[in-house]
Amino acid sequence: MDGPIRKILVYVDGTEGSITAAQYAICLARFYRAELAALYVVNTRALGELLKARIFVKAEQEEYLRDLEQDAQRYLNHVRSLARKKGLAIETLSASGTVHQEIKDFVLRNRVDLLVMGELSSVRSRRDELYDEADRALRSVPCSVLIVKDEERVIQLYDSLT
Amino acid sequence: MALADLISPEVVKVPLTARTKPEVIRELAQLLLDAGKLPELEAPYDALLAREALGSTGLEQGIAVPHAKTNTVRTLTVAIGIAPQGIDFQSADGKPSNIFFLLLAPPDQSGPHIAALAEIARIAKSPTFLRLLSSASTPREVVELFREA
Repeated sequence: MDGPIRKILVYVDGTEGSITAAQYAICLARFYRAELAALYVVNTRALGELLKARIFVKAEQEEYLRDLEQDAQRYLNHVRSLARKKGLAIETLSASGTVHQEIKDFVLRNRVDLLVMGELSSVRSRRDELYDEADRALRSVPCSVLIVKDEERVIQLYDSLT
Repeated sequence: MALADLISPEVVKVPLTARTKPEVIRELAQLLLDAGKLPELEAPYDALLAREALGSTGLEQGIAVPHAKTNTVRTLTVAIGIAPQGIDFQSADGKPSNIFFLLLAPPDQSGPHIAALAEIARIAKSPTFLRLLSSASTPREVVELFREA
């Protein structure tokens, strides 16, 4: 019988919490001998909303899009490097669109067993339920979700992985 | 990260004493400096004015969202000001602005910056929340509104 977790997806958004989540996902992938993938989503929907709301001017929207695409590569490279240091293969992907929808689509397409995410906002407002992309992702994906907390312990776990 | 995580009473000013757009920006930047969130005033102030020169961030419904990228902050930094009297911010509808969200983000953290701006864009669509915000009389009241809403 296969183990309970065969394919893990870690969602990376550039926050410290998501990098901690990636380190934990690397530990889990090693322990369960699972495949590991990391996904960054360039939130083009939000960019469109900001232009529509006139918070952004067109040139600014284009500049932020370039920034986000560069962030995606930088953070995915960092996560790839974290995995390689522990001798683990990792698939890294950048998508663009609505964050929670892209995560859900990836989970469905790739038969992901476990979605790993960084810590959610410590203060949860009613707005988050409707609009926070991480909150919406964890509610909408069909697989189990693991929210990673306790950064110090995760770093110790990662560092102790030989 | 939600806006509520970034807001505490020391980064909220009610009421603002400023009377003009540059004064609002300076007053909120000074608030961040006093709260220990900024190491200096001039560079972020100049970055905010440079962004305003591209087009006013004064929206409809009395909201303005001056924002800029700057190396002077290490994480996304937010200040809120309420001006019950209204201030001319060259807003989209030509009306005075009375709720100001000032955001400063490091150039390598565009993701959280955009998420926070998107949250403000959604807030701008809630007349009830805006009415409550503009009638808040203390910084703590503003913070509580974000945590409850």
